[in-house]
Amino acid sequence: MTEATTTTAATRKITSVKDLEKLRREHKAENDKYPKQVMVCCGTGCLANGAAQLVEAFHKALDEREIKDFEVKAIKETGCHGFCEQGPLVVIEPKGIFYTKVKPRDIPEIIEKSIESDEVIEKHLYVDPRDGKKIECYGEVSFFKHQERIALRNLGKIAAHSIGDYIAVGGYQAIAKALTKLTPDEVIEEVDQANLRGRGGGGFPAGRKWRTCRDVEADEHFVICNGDEGDPGAFMDRSIMEGDPHAVLEGMMIAAYAVGARRGFIYVREEYPLAVLHLQKAIDDCHEYGLLGENILGTDFSFDIRIARGAGAFVCGESSALMKSVAGLVGEPREKYIRSVIKGLWGKPTVLNNVETYVNVPVVINKGAKWFTSIGCENNSGTKAFSLVGKVRNTGLIEVAMGTTLREIIYDIGRGILNDRPFKAVQTGGPSGGCLPESMLDLPVDFDSLTKAGSMMGSGGMIVMDDRTCMVDVARYFLQFLVSESCGKCVPCREGLYQLHQMTIAVCEGRAEESDLEKIEELSDVVVKASLCGLGKSGPNPVLSTLRYFRDEWEAHIREKRCPAGVCRELITYTVNEKCTGCVACITACAYNAITGEKKQPHFIHQDRCTKCGACVAVCRYDAIDVA
Amino acid sequence: MINISINGRLVQAEEGEFLLTVMKRNGFKAPALCHHEAVEPYGGCRLCMVEISKPQWKGWKDLVVSCLYPVSADLEVQTDSEAVIQERKTVLHLLLARNPHTKEIKDLAAEYGIVRSKYQEVAEPDDCILCAICTRICDAMGFSAISLVNRGHGREVAPPLNEPPPDCTGCLACALNCPTNYIKYTDNGMTREIWGKTFEMLRDPQTGMPTITRVFAEYLTKHREIPEEYFGLGDESHRKRTARNFGKIAAWTREETVREEA
Amino acid sequence: MNMRFEVTPNLCIGCRTCELACSFTHTIEGKQARSRIYPLDGGLKDLWVPVVCLQCDDPACVKSCLVDAIKFNVDTGAYEIDDEVCVRCMACVAACPFGCSLFDSHQNRVVKCDLCGGDPACAKFCPTQALTYKSALSHAG
Repeated sequence: MTEATTTTAATRKITSVKDLEKLRREHKAENDKYPKQVMVCCGTGCLANGAAQLVEAFHKALDEREIKDFEVKAIKETGCHGFCEQGPLVVIEPKGIFYTKVKPRDIPEIIEKSIESDEVIEKHLYVDPRDGKKIECYGEVSFFKHQERIALRNLGKIAAHSIGDYIAVGGYQAIAKALTKLTPDEVIEEVDQANLRGRGGGGFPAGRKWRTCRDVEADEHFVICNGDEGDPGAFMDRSIMEGDPHAVLEGMMIAAYAVGARRGFIYVREEYPLAVLHLQKAIDDCHEYGLLGENILGTDFSFDIRIARGAGAFVCGESSALMKSVAGLVGEPREKYIRSVIKGLWGKPTVLNNVETYVNVPVVINKGAKWFTSIGCENNSGTKAFSLVGKVRNTGLIEVAMGTTLREIIYDIGRGILNDRPFKAVQTGGPSGGCLPESMLDLPVDFDSLTKAGSMMGSGGMIVMDDRTCMVDVARYFLQFLVSESCGKCVPCREGLYQLHQMTIAVCEGRAEESDLEKIEELSDVVVKASLCGLGKSGPNPVLSTLRYFRDEWEAHIREKRCPAGVCRELITYTVNEKCTGCVACITACAYNAITGEKKQPHFIHQDRCTKCGACVAVCRYDAIDVA
Repeated sequence: MINISINGRLVQAEEGEFLLTVMKRNGFKAPALCHHEAVEPYGGCRLCMVEISKPQWKGWKDLVVSCLYPVSADLEVQTDSEAVIQERKTVLHLLLARNPHTKEIKDLAAEYGIVRSKYQEVAEPDDCILCAICTRICDAMGFSAISLVNRGHGREVAPPLNEPPPDCTGCLACALNCPTNYIKYTDNGMTREIWGKTFEMLRDPQTGMPTITRVFAEYLTKHREIPEEYFGLGDESHRKRTARNFGKIAAWTREETVREEA
Repeated sequence: MNMRFEVTPNLCIGCRTCELACSFTHTIEGKQARSRIYPLDGGLKDLWVPVVCLQCDDPACVKSCLVDAIKFNVDTGAYEIDDEVCVRCMACVAACPFGCSLFDSHQNRVVKCDLCGGDPACAKFCPTQALTYKSALSHAG
């Protein structure tokens, strides 16, 4: 991928706020030179979909023709917009023309019509799944319209690897303000007043955490960013680290200034190579510009950041396991009767916060606590990023104000359930979270409400499920994940989750008895109380929340050996109904020769051969196969 | 010094001391399978859990592992409350599912009225309870020859790559401190074998009594400044030699005394 | 520490009362203890030497213990093995040049003279005062 730098100003060290301001004006002027800019989304999703080839195609097309007031530098490789299923995405600024599913062969036409001229190419526009309308502008697309982007503010708007772009949009103003106008205590006070709560899942007030850390007398304090993001399907932190790495660095700098740290680490999970690449480039650029290292901005604040990589363990997202991993040891949690803010990395007071928490910090400092608390709801200020996935029409990465209801998220942003099937449940908080039913759709999404309802915010995963999802199977799936990720140190998690998993499998397979339900609940209770760390303590949540809201499904599996959603293989049968037209599509699709029948005659499924693979259901255009 | 109450009795402790230490010192018992005084507390077995509270917590209670919980003023501890017993029983059921034939687990479970696990027993049970005492001691001694491998339910104690561990000195500390005698070794006085590695034993030249392995002696000479010659004899021969050496000195004194009297 | 344990071999008559006293004092719950003091042949007629831990200034046993199980007791002047910490690796048994760290197979632990915690039984029972435990200051000259 070619790296087009967006600054012509010679890179030089910033030694004062004046320097920073000068640089900002220069870089902004550089960007403003172009009446039009093309933002090509180069987040991991779009990259996988061919975004790199799009960039190449743009460069090639520009080589072949000269366009007035438009150069290669006006093409920006940005971070993830969050609407990955519509990618590769191209946005033409400043109008915000939003093109979806762009291919390299479309580029010449886009250049001719939308850059050289002012036309909009209809066939690339987003189509609203609810009413079939084509939407021109980014801001009008339902997916984006209802969002409030603070943490994701720069994603899709700046070149991901350009420090110039970041500075041009006001980057590093917050650390400049903190260093020159605020004392460390005042910084903590501002963050505290803003009630910025940890976005990694714990929801612990960041200001309070920083203050406790600062108050510990030690020869060294540390600041760590948790970029492990282990929840399957979550990619909020990934997109931020890839698309706006400088915001992460700036947040960490402010935290370091507040607690008196000289060294910081960003722990990035092994599976995020692009995030590591962009973060490292950002760190290297900061070194060159003097924004990391000694005497930042001409003050006596010195701070440096290094990246530490994970090696594929979900448990390393747990703070004490993460710190062990940073120190080069096996990632195993420890009892936290003495918390990490008191004794953390290498036994020193350490602040550990999530990526999303850190990127909120510069905004809090720049715009103030009062502004921040004006967004969101009582005791839950600001916004939260979510990965909205599952059986919903618009899937992807979103950010909404705290207090937005589940209904608004799923129906206004997500545009409702795929194929108009009935909504059944939404799973929030990752594997350790819980499932909420239709009756809870008007629940405001915030830390406290979700926890009270038996789920949790977690890091922001939101999986929407329709009536074809079996809630017992969902519990089984998450337990399987947790069992494979348990570190194995403590008995309740290692053995308890394993046994819960085995018992849940038995329920799915119709082998469970009435007394098993009591055994499951009793064991869940002890695993919650006796486990060493959060993985074990919240491990039984998938079971407990589905039992709370979908107990009838559990009971159907146990008492009637029936799976109401038609998912659990051992309990379902596929039968051809009267709608069958005899088109032989299913017979062709069946790899097990389990279906027989003549053309134009009703077909028949032989149960002894059927493996419930679902291929026949997938090809049938007449809804002629019942699953029950 | 602070005062805390355990099962209603007031006892003294230093602020920050681990609760289990205070309990043991005052005669209160709790099972603690993964505990060994040679290494730091682990908090893995969760059997030493007790229920704690403080007057200012307004009735709220918590279950903590006593081996790692640092005591502070006004702490109220219940070592055998209903919640504690329920938790301990469940942990024992879980352990029994993993180690159904292990005597030490069966005995401990029997103390709580448990004969058989209510959960599914594992396919090929062995006696390893994953207390990690062996690996932690090996680390503490400076060898780190064995460690815990695999994550989660498949965890086990093993040497690197399941091959004879290069750093093992054959000291037997792992096997001798294993609560269930799971770690096997052979020792015929001439050679010792453990973890698939064979060691030559140093033996007293006169009595033939084996002392420690040659490798272990070499390690102690190299890293702990113990002269090589010290390992040349067994302890019995050392005592005899000491007697002879001091005897010589005593004899000189005797001669002098004799001479003086003359 | 101002106490000193002194051994005078020329006064030792080899009666082995010290061995008995030591063993009985360290018996635990009926389990007999191995003695930590051994009157042995000094190499001459009528010359016995009670071999017992010299509580060295730079003890080989302490150096050899990789888990720091052997600790100094400032009140008694003796080095003591903390049985709960000891891992039975036998390094100290092999390292002591005087053979005064030994394995007690009855009680299944490594033992050495601990001066009975400040009141050595052997000295109390020695009929000839070949073994004494006195204030160090009284040994002037």
